[in-house]
Amino acid sequence: MALSGVEIFKLLPKTNCKKCGFPTCLAFAMALAQGKTELAKCPDVSEESKRVLGEASAPPIRTFFLGTSEKAVKLGGETVLFRHDKKFFNPCVYAVNVKDTLSNDELNEKIEEVLTSEIDRVGQKLRVDAISIEFASGNSSQYESAVKLISQKAPDTAIILNCKDPSAAEVAVRTIADKKPLLYCANEGNTGAMTNIAKTHKIPLGVYAKGLSELSVLTEKIKGMGVEDLVIDSGAEKAKDMLELNTQIRRSALKKNFKPLGYPIINFVLREDPIFETCVAGIAAAKYASIIVLSSIEKWKNLALFTLRQNIYTDPQVPMQVEQKIYKIGEPTVNSPLLITTNFSLTYFMVSGEVENSKVPAYLAVMDCEGLSVLTAWAAGKFTAGKIVQFIKDSGVENQISHRELIIPGQVAILSGAIEDKLEGWKITVGPREANGIPTFLKSRPA
Amino acid sequence: MSYVIPKETYSGNVLSLEFGKAPKSVKIGGENTLPFLSFEGSIPNKPVIAYEIQDITPDDWPDTVKAQYAFCSDNPVKWAQHCQNKLKAQAISLRLIGTHPDRGDRSAGDVAKIVKDVLSAVDVPLIILGSNHIEKDASVLVAAAEAASGYNCIIGKAQEGNYKTVVAAALAHKHKLIAMSELDINLAKQLNILITQMGFDKERLLTDPMCSALGYGLEYTYSVMERIRLAAIMQNDVTMQPPIVGDVGMYVWKVKETFASESDVSQWGSIEERGVAWEAVTAIAMLIAGTNLLIMRHPKAVETVRKTIEELV
Amino acid sequence: MIIIGEKISIIAKKVREAMLSRAPEPIQELAESQRRAGAHFIDVNIGPAEDKGDDLMRWMVESIQEKVQAPLCLDTTNPVALEAGLKAHNNQWGRALINSTSNEPERFVMLELAAKYNAQVIGLTLGKGGIPADAEERCEIAAEIMARAAEYGVPLEDIYLDPLVLQIATSQDHAAKVIDAVKMFQEINDPPMKTVVGLSNISNGCPKAIRPILNKYYFILLMNVGLTAAIADPREMAEAMQERQLVEDVMAGKEIDDVKKMMEIKKTLDVIMNKTLYAHSYLEM
Repeated sequence: MALSGVEIFKLLPKTNCKKCGFPTCLAFAMALAQGKTELAKCPDVSEESKRVLGEASAPPIRTFFLGTSEKAVKLGGETVLFRHDKKFFNPCVYAVNVKDTLSNDELNEKIEEVLTSEIDRVGQKLRVDAISIEFASGNSSQYESAVKLISQKAPDTAIILNCKDPSAAEVAVRTIADKKPLLYCANEGNTGAMTNIAKTHKIPLGVYAKGLSELSVLTEKIKGMGVEDLVIDSGAEKAKDMLELNTQIRRSALKKNFKPLGYPIINFVLREDPIFETCVAGIAAAKYASIIVLSSIEKWKNLALFTLRQNIYTDPQVPMQVEQKIYKIGEPTVNSPLLITTNFSLTYFMVSGEVENSKVPAYLAVMDCEGLSVLTAWAAGKFTAGKIVQFIKDSGVENQISHRELIIPGQVAILSGAIEDKLEGWKITVGPREANGIPTFLKSRPA
Repeated sequence: MSYVIPKETYSGNVLSLEFGKAPKSVKIGGENTLPFLSFEGSIPNKPVIAYEIQDITPDDWPDTVKAQYAFCSDNPVKWAQHCQNKLKAQAISLRLIGTHPDRGDRSAGDVAKIVKDVLSAVDVPLIILGSNHIEKDASVLVAAAEAASGYNCIIGKAQEGNYKTVVAAALAHKHKLIAMSELDINLAKQLNILITQMGFDKERLLTDPMCSALGYGLEYTYSVMERIRLAAIMQNDVTMQPPIVGDVGMYVWKVKETFASESDVSQWGSIEERGVAWEAVTAIAMLIAGTNLLIMRHPKAVETVRKTIEELV
Repeated sequence: MIIIGEKISIIAKKVREAMLSRAPEPIQELAESQRRAGAHFIDVNIGPAEDKGDDLMRWMVESIQEKVQAPLCLDTTNPVALEAGLKAHNNQWGRALINSTSNEPERFVMLELAAKYNAQVIGLTLGKGGIPADAEERCEIAAEIMARAAEYGVPLEDIYLDPLVLQIATSQDHAAKVIDAVKMFQEINDPPMKTVVGLSNISNGCPKAIRPILNKYYFILLMNVGLTAAIADPREMAEAMQERQLVEDVMAGKEIDDVKKMMEIKKTLDVIMNKTLYAHSYLEM
């Protein structure tokens, strides 16, 4: 049974030494309770406490990194089944599968695709994080040379050695062991040999079995042999099985604290039709995959999948924010109205949507209020007359429009006098309280 | 430690609802488990996709989707027949966008004729939507409901500002009804309560918690839908048990990703597939969160989502 | 239980107008009536008060304490205004309470002021990372506030930890999480930390008729887990004290004579504990 933060706190040394990286023992205890850190980070914990805390303090889903570069990605570590319960922490990895039977030119092309996959979206840099190299040739030296080529040309991209043949795997691992590739995979037939390779080279290991009972037996066996950084594959082929088994794995780990399935999940979603594959990958991204292996990475597909991942992994407690700037809606002219609101994304979507509905071209000044909605931002002192005036002055909007009228949200009507006092030569108009009043409001103004 | 399937026991279920006329009527809902998790419950009906058509030429749709209907979209009857006969639509959703005061302000009388024409040209079930203009929809949907009397359509959307009129019309002409609120689960529940308090059966209701496009608030819709489903089956909250509608197309085909040209944003790849993927992935996320009825636009997106649904059941 | 009268707030139109025109009477009347109804502190919420906030706060403190012999809870994000209020505050009737510090750097100055003027201070468990997701995250932030208070020389017994009550109409799951947090806050120090809530925010955005119902029963649940103080309407809280036994009977599964009241209590407790989804008409279901 998991212990609460306070229960854990009572077992800690209470020295607030900060060696664990947290400001106080209490903060460390709370983080431990949530599976965000490990007990080993505390140098002074007593043996007695260690014993009591033991398994209870280990995160329910094992957490480790894939890759070694600064672009390495964290896997696992999730604590909830539904994102609204708290949040999903470590975004899934998208990997592309490449066969070693490709010619060097074809391989180079694939590598180039991966290297140029980076897209900047709402301030985050998103990319294809890993390449899965499939042993399809049956020839271990061919495999080795493909692995070598990819690791040289894409030194920062994590590698998944998609190879069930221990001898070919051994050769490939040896050439890139320092990159900590994921070895995929150990299965019923090759467990001993694959586990030995992973153990010798200290690399994570994929584990495959058809069905979760079989998978649990296998992970326990491998753990017993000394390899714990595991990634699990339930063998699901149909989307339905993938969804059901991923759900069962996550539930077992979180609700039953069932350790044999407390590992990140890998799903191969390979499909002929790239749009279909995008859909299946989307299911995996929403429901619990840590690594999703694709057969192709077209730019449009990456954009859709990166965006979905970003949406799903957004912290529901941290309001999603849009960039502070003056947005143009429709094709505004120097005479078009200027409205202001805060940068809470939902507020922005509603307000900009309603301005759009009004068909009146307008400027919408969106001010950074740390993602708070209008009234909350005002109460927190972030959407105040002084700050609004500063923002309007700094924004350069005065060069975009010829009039000097600012429409403020009805909920902060109270600010109109103060803004007018500070923003010389401007007229402040109080707009509607709710976004859905905007179309009527804008349309009823003299053109 | 041996593995035991971690099954949940649920106390409630999603209500099932049938619309349209036999033999082409369509049934949705009825499951007593989370979306597609049949290992712990039954899912009697698959999610259904309705093709969206409009009463006026869809000038504001991006070219890539507009082109799919270039030969028929000037006439809702032709458009509906194309969807039924060529695209094998399971249902059609007629959006009376031309009634919007800014889009032609078509009268309620015109609406009646269009609705009748479409109904007599196709036999798949029809969803009739207003233009999302609260005041205008009140009169438009009343006329539409009357014109469609006897066809067991779904009409919508009843919102906080007009539900009394719209509910009365659906009640009088025995249609099913979509209740829509704006991304707020508590307001969704409240509206369903108000509507049932008017004597409208919850068995005839659908909930639309408002869709949002991938990248533009999708996570809000996703979580509101998941929470509605959980309330329905785990808490047995009867007000949250009507099937869920995802009006995907209209939210997707206005975001930049569906129309920005390849020369403007080369890093985004092919505009054609990008738009289709945008609609398909948005729809998939809605399905996983609990949507029973999708309203979509692009044939390729519909086809792919259908194929995915087949793999999910 | 310490009651901090909430009525003098810039959000209320009457108060706002009195503040702007510097008319002391309406404010004094509110202070006096809250005092009579049992308030131990009077909250003085002047909002962000960017312009001449110091003048306003000084005037508010002087006007109120001229009529009411009680300590005040000074509520503004503007530290200059807050300091002016502390200077003007008459400590004869008790030390002032600062509302509030938090884990946001711009609010650290409130601890400095607390130390300088020997005031008590509310520690709102809110940081830069948005709304804390649960009781554990609230405790994490509390721990940081406590550590910082020590740095600034504010004794822990002068801190009231505030778990941040959210609106049940939009953030229903937090109602129960706040109750957990109040429990946990007390466990993280010996002697237990003091706790406070801005109670009425629970029903903010709800229909007028159900606001007192939610406020009262929520208050009782919080009281049951050891809450030290509440910023609230003292009249409502007095009623809550009278209804406490009824609520406890219902919670213990006893039947009570007034069936309507019993249903009201049951439904409200279910909503607060997140067992049924909130809707404005939840009492009618």
